[in-house]
Amino acid sequence: MGEILSKILTYIFVIIIYLFIYAIIRMIYFDIRAMNRKKSGGLADAYLKLINLRRDLDFNIDESYELEDDEVIGRGAKCTLRLPDKYLSVRHCRIYKADGSFFIEDLDSTNGTFLNGDELGDEAVELIDGDKISIGRLNFIFVMPKGVDE
Amino acid sequence: MSYARSMKPLFYIILLNAVGAALISISGGARSPEALVLTGAICVVSIICYTVVSFAGFGDPYLFLIISMLGSVGGIMQLRIRTAYGVRQLKWFLLGTACYFLAMLIFLAMRKILPRLTPLYVGVSVALYAATLVFGRTSHGSRNWIVIGGDNGLSIQPSELIRIFFVLTLAAIFTAQPDKNSKKKKKADGDKPFGLRPNAARLLSASAVTAVNLGFLLLQREWGIALLFFATYFFFIYVYGASRGYLLLNAAAAVGVGAVSLKYMGHIQTRVEAWLNPFADASGKGYQITQSLFAIGEGGFVGRGIGEGSVYFIPEVHSDFIFSAICEEMGILGGFAIVMLYFVLTYRGFKIALACTNRFNKAVAFGLSLMLGLQSFIIIGGVTKMIPLTGITLPFISYGGSSMLTTFAAYGILQAISALKEETTDEL
Repeated sequence: MGEILSKILTYIFVIIIYLFIYAIIRMIYFDIRAMNRKKSGGLADAYLKLINLRRDLDFNIDESYELEDDEVIGRGAKCTLRLPDKYLSVRHCRIYKADGSFFIEDLDSTNGTFLNGDELGDEAVELIDGDKISIGRLNFIFVMPKGVDE
Repeated sequence: MSYARSMKPLFYIILLNAVGAALISISGGARSPEALVLTGAICVVSIICYTVVSFAGFGDPYLFLIISMLGSVGGIMQLRIRTAYGVRQLKWFLLGTACYFLAMLIFLAMRKILPRLTPLYVGVSVALYAATLVFGRTSHGSRNWIVIGGDNGLSIQPSELIRIFFVLTLAAIFTAQPDKNSKKKKKADGDKPFGLRPNAARLLSASAVTAVNLGFLLLQREWGIALLFFATYFFFIYVYGASRGYLLLNAAAAVGVGAVSLKYMGHIQTRVEAWLNPFADASGKGYQITQSLFAIGEGGFVGRGIGEGSVYFIPEVHSDFIFSAICEEMGILGGFAIVMLYFVLTYRGFKIALACTNRFNKAVAFGLSLMLGLQSFIIIGGVTKMIPLTGITLPFISYGGSSMLTTFAAYGILQAISALKEETTDEL
């Protein structure tokens, strides 16, 4: 009798350890999720969505990047959005917000910035939801879900 | 995070202690009111510490929870093996909690000067080694104990404390600034994940410090800790950008020392023979490891039940071989749960290291979590015959005061580093 009881209690004992591990991992998971949202402010109006397959790229890159009011994209350490693609220039292009719209401008990059397949000239161009931005080997879709209305 | 979700792990810790106490009282018959009180005290201390850590903003809330869980499992197992061990283990756990917060506060208070104290760390380590060699007492072929106050006095194992100093030394060496007067450069370095590539001088001084440590440890015949130190050092030089040639050189040196000691030291020969073929001499050289394997096999998948196993056949069951006893009584399922707890604990440690912005603190967090993770690996690997067995404690579960208190202090430092991380995020 005592043997069976202690066996059953031991099962419960081990199950509790697993439940504990599950609870901890769940907490860590929710923590990381909350932190990621906090990092991007959770309020960004627009973001860049990567359309390359990540496994085709030999460097680390995120699936999407939320855009702040003024982003300089490039390979260099001083860029606000730093992407380690070696076909990018140190300061490649800039995406900024003005009068409630987002604009993209090329920063004299070596390989150019392409918007829907056309190379950008010297002037900044307004972005609209669904535009395709190509820089280096990377292709992004510009997404602005709500539209920006002040 | 919702309140209910964040309180769930605490609830499980309390539940586990309750079930454990029930198990102890129905199986052993050795009902000790003191043990029950102490188990209750562990629950209360866990609740208080967790609440303090999570609501006072002392950083990572998971470290202490996982440690409490490991400590509770350890306490129950010790009580089951021998009530006196269990009672003392639980007292050490409570004392360890104090060490945890003390180490945290000391680290927070001294964090500005700690990176510059390399000579002090080395000096204290050498002094402790020397004291062990002079006043030390030999047990199980290792001269690693200092006994204060007669036979029943306080016995301490200095090498457990030296672990922390060793990590601090390596961290200080690898993050030392070559140019002390240029503060701008300091800031620029901090941005990079693991700082600049170390120059040859840093690597060489790290190697020299490690060689001194290993020399003393081998004099004391502390092979377990020596292996632990070497592995930590090796990962350190790898992370801090040693060239492939230098890594190979170090590996070759280690193999060389291993080969020489295998040839000339009977102690090591026995260990390796027992590892390669324990059943050749199951009642002699291979006794420890075969008993451990029998116990693990006996436990099967779900175990024989706490209090039902024949753990007394396993030698040193309360310290080095506690994992075999856990596997016998809770099965491989229970053993795996313990491994997972260490896994999550080490993961949190690395996470703290990654999130940390200060170079020295990053190195310390990395080193401590690495070392304690490796320690669990070395002893669990040893008793399951994956690697040659070397005597070392299983953190928070094995019986032992020095080990418990210093491991608590090590995690206290990690807690301090995680608290600093939150501090800097708030400033930004």
